[in-house]
Amino acid sequence: MTLTAHHVVLPVALPLLVAFLLPLVGRLSDGLARLLAQLTTLAVAVIALLLWPAASDGGALVSAMGGFAAPIGIVFYADKLALMFVVALAVGLLLFRPRREHDSTKVQTLWLLLLAGGSGLVLSGDLFNIFVFYEITAVATYGLGASAHTGAGYGASLRYLLLSALGSAFALLGIALVYAAAGTLNLADLSQLAGERLTGPMGLTAFVLMVLGFGVKAELFPVNTWVPEVYTAAPTRVTAVLAGVVSKLAMVVILRLLVLLFQDPAALGFLLLLGAIGVAAGELAAFRSRDLHRTFAYSSIAQLGLMAVAFSIPGHAGVLAGIAVALHHLVVKPAFFVLADRWRGEIAGLTGAGRTSPLAAGLFVLLSLSIIGIPPLPGFWAKLMLFKAAIDAGGAGNLTAVAIILAATVIEAAYLFRVVGILYGTAPAGRPPLRFTLGELAPGLLLGAVLIAATVSVAPLGDGLTAMAADSADAAAYASRVLPGGN
Amino acid sequence: MPFALPFDMTSLDLLMAIAAAATVLLYLFGTARLGGYLATLLHGAALAVTVAMGLDLAAGAGAIPSSLRLTVLGQQLAWTLDGLGWFFLLLTTGAAFFSSWYMAGEWGRVQQRARIQHGTLALNVLTMVLLLSAGDLLGLFIGWEFVSWAAFAMMIQAGGPATQAAYRYMLYALAGAMALFAAILVVHGAAGGFGFDQMRAALPDMSTGMLWTLFALFAGGFGVKMALVPTHLWQAPAYSYTPGASSAFLNAVSARMGLFALILSLVKLIGFDTLAGLRIPMTGIESTDILAWVAAITMVVPTYIALMQTDARMLLTWHGIGQGGYMLLGILVATPLGVAGGLLHVFNYATYQMALILAVFAVIHRTGTADLDELGGLITRMPLTYVALLMGIIGLAGLPPMNGFVSKWMIYKALIVTQQPLLSIAAFVGTLGTILSVYKLIHNIFLGQLRVEHREIREAPWSMTLPMLVLAGIGFVTGFAPGLALSIVDQAQAAMGVALLPHHLGGVVLATGSLNMLWVVGVLVGAIGVGALIFYVLGNRRFETHQYDNYAGGHFLSADIRYHFSHEFYPGLARVIGPWYRGWVVRMEHGLGVLAEVSGDLWHGVFRAAYTPLYVLIVAVLGLFWAGGAGGFGS
Repeated sequence: MTLTAHHVVLPVALPLLVAFLLPLVGRLSDGLARLLAQLTTLAVAVIALLLWPAASDGGALVSAMGGFAAPIGIVFYADKLALMFVVALAVGLLLFRPRREHDSTKVQTLWLLLLAGGSGLVLSGDLFNIFVFYEITAVATYGLGASAHTGAGYGASLRYLLLSALGSAFALLGIALVYAAAGTLNLADLSQLAGERLTGPMGLTAFVLMVLGFGVKAELFPVNTWVPEVYTAAPTRVTAVLAGVVSKLAMVVILRLLVLLFQDPAALGFLLLLGAIGVAAGELAAFRSRDLHRTFAYSSIAQLGLMAVAFSIPGHAGVLAGIAVALHHLVVKPAFFVLADRWRGEIAGLTGAGRTSPLAAGLFVLLSLSIIGIPPLPGFWAKLMLFKAAIDAGGAGNLTAVAIILAATVIEAAYLFRVVGILYGTAPAGRPPLRFTLGELAPGLLLGAVLIAATVSVAPLGDGLTAMAADSADAAAYASRVLPGGN
Repeated sequence: MPFALPFDMTSLDLLMAIAAAATVLLYLFGTARLGGYLATLLHGAALAVTVAMGLDLAAGAGAIPSSLRLTVLGQQLAWTLDGLGWFFLLLTTGAAFFSSWYMAGEWGRVQQRARIQHGTLALNVLTMVLLLSAGDLLGLFIGWEFVSWAAFAMMIQAGGPATQAAYRYMLYALAGAMALFAAILVVHGAAGGFGFDQMRAALPDMSTGMLWTLFALFAGGFGVKMALVPTHLWQAPAYSYTPGASSAFLNAVSARMGLFALILSLVKLIGFDTLAGLRIPMTGIESTDILAWVAAITMVVPTYIALMQTDARMLLTWHGIGQGGYMLLGILVATPLGVAGGLLHVFNYATYQMALILAVFAVIHRTGTADLDELGGLITRMPLTYVALLMGIIGLAGLPPMNGFVSKWMIYKALIVTQQPLLSIAAFVGTLGTILSVYKLIHNIFLGQLRVEHREIREAPWSMTLPMLVLAGIGFVTGFAPGLALSIVDQAQAAMGVALLPHHLGGVVLATGSLNMLWVVGVLVGAIGVGALIFYVLGNRRFETHQYDNYAGGHFLSADIRYHFSHEFYPGLARVIGPWYRGWVVRMEHGLGVLAEVSGDLWHGVFRAAYTPLYVLIVAVLGLFWAGGAGGFGS
């Protein structure tokens, strides 16, 4: 089956439609609703994969809603980067699908809304639509964050809601400023107007507002204070998806903004600053935290900081490094949360847990080594690419960021291997051993296997990503594909 | 090529294959009945290949390439072994051979996780091969990380106090690795690549500041592995709590990887000439002077800390740190004599330190303790171990006829000839501390009364005594005929681009005074012979006395009087040295930990910010303020 540009809307439309139908189906049968939701998620993954060959042939698939061409119409833009994240989101949602016992149609509905919103976020070629999908994603996240039905969960979700609502308001304000300055919200159109209309304080203000707005979901410093609480209080499956995939989708939006709208050194410097502080703040806070969920939440903040640093480096080397960091984190962090689910509570209480679950402890060591960046694991290559891009770009800011990241790496190793030492310690007598069932551990093991496969095939993977990054960093190509008649 | 290999394999490929196979096989079968002998066989094969490579290199092969090539993200990675790498490789495979031999018999069978020990030993060898043959800076960094983590795996296996020691090591090692990472990035920024040749070509255009940065990063990064002061705190516990055979391996070669990398980066890549041009303005102090003084302090301070130890393993491992200082100092003299002395000391140290560590672990194997306050009089029960330890401490103290004397003599001589009196004095002071503490070691373990609980102790089995006696024997032979070891050193020295030191079987010939160990040992043996002759010919008035039939301080000691002088062995010195041990370095390390905790607390607090809307508004206002400023509002 060959899919064409018209099918680009399917990853958004299909889950959205099913999400609305699901409460009705759920009245008939919970099982049927679950099956329907999961089949839809699978379908989205398959559709995105089927779109892939066409997207890689022509660079991207562009679909204009209702046949109205850009800049008047609303467009969906599916390049390899966007499709890759759609696949990642769908696979992540399938891998961490709600378990039968918590199964409620409500959660499944939110799950599909998250899929629709997330896909829309990366596929939209239009600022306003991006905002709409961002809101859909956020609403789904509020519900999912509270879906553990605990006091902590409600509290965390409420705080997140407050922060996110304010953030959305900022983003909307930024979008309004862009519209006021340029008279259009189509990204391709904007990319051609940016040079003259979006420079100076007006453009920068819009950028700052949008970064603070979208940064809430992208876990950017300083609008990420919700992260540790929500990630600790939400069900682990939700946290795995939020930290692993959804945060990156917001980061992709920021990447698009940078590449297409704001190549201003001041804007890049702003993101670099936020990223570097995020790295330092995340790792230091993780060093201080005493339970695994919080540790991984803070570590996630630091990793998103790394992405921000990478994207702030102009040219495709930075984009490549950012995508590499994102993909690596996308594999590693959900697996970490799988382990944290069983190893709840104080880290100090885990003494000897590694001896009763050697497979889980081995996975922990593997993931730790990779996230610290020890060769030959993929985390090393991602960090190497980031450093090379930063050094080649030069400048005091980039060099300082490299120094901060290097120092933060030592902190990272300090807290992760402190845990390893505890895991392999001697368990106090009389305590019931913590054991994983194979089912619990399976998603983590699968991701660990992906990590090892990536290690072995790092050379071809690197070539593929390089091509993808070069394409994503090319603003002219984006415009020429979207606008009629090319450019 | 002394032997033909299939598939166009080079000897380096073969060595990598053996090391890789050993890692897998020993991890799988290390606990099996014959697992230990399989390990000895595999490491023996690796050693044989290494020796064959040495013959190739001596025949003028230049460098031995590997067919292994990788291209990742535009980075070419290749591996080639030259004389310098080969020298350290010989020590590596040799140490692994003796370690696995020691582990093959009874000692290995009583280990809880022999499989892990064998596996990590082989893994260490494999990673060291990759490091020593790295063909560019990226390969060097990757190899460095491999070696660091392989050593961590080896250290952490014992559990208990080893876990904490290994963790501490890992933090130091990683901090060092990050310094190295920064260094290769600086090079990449200046040279546009990670190649050794690219770096050399870019050096003339580098600013003085950049060269200082590189010097500091390389010296700091690799110095951590050598435990140069003030990064020395991790090494003694980490090496001491590692199980015996592995500990001997770590002691012999692990820290030497730091020296190898220092030589590679500072001497082979940056070069003595460039380093000599790096001066602190208006003082005339060169970059190498700073490092030489760091080496000198490393020679003295850890040696006197060793003196204070009451655990035999700790005593030896603290000395290991000090001995590294001698090696570095010799090389930094930068004359053929100094460099040869430093490198020879690397070889010599490996032989006697392994013998010593293995002997101490043999004592632990039999008595269950390494506490110098809990031992004594074992000479009658473990005579072979005693001999190995005696020969080892003579080497460590740098006295004839053992090989340690030769290399130390060369280092002293090089310092004196180049007119560096203060550094020479530091070297002598270090040796004095060594002599004092090795006497404590042998006295407290082997001399004096035998403890009651040790009366039934047996000598360690041959599988353990033989490796250490052979090592001690090598120490004697290369002390008697240092020319044998100097020929090996020549390979490294030539690869470093330093002129070779003329030598013969018995020693070196210098205009300022030569050394011929054949004569020294001959005279020594002769003198002892004459003494013995006099003693035996003139009456042979000896009578055998029991260990418990003794005499001290005007008092006869019989079997019912417990008398063993071991506790507080050097109280006067201890009063002077004591504060060094708990000195500023310990406080600095502690302070860094506290700093991380406090900053962590601070950020933790930020993430718990209450009044979310207010917080976000403040953030937004600040952001807009910045946007206005950066965008040019108000200007």
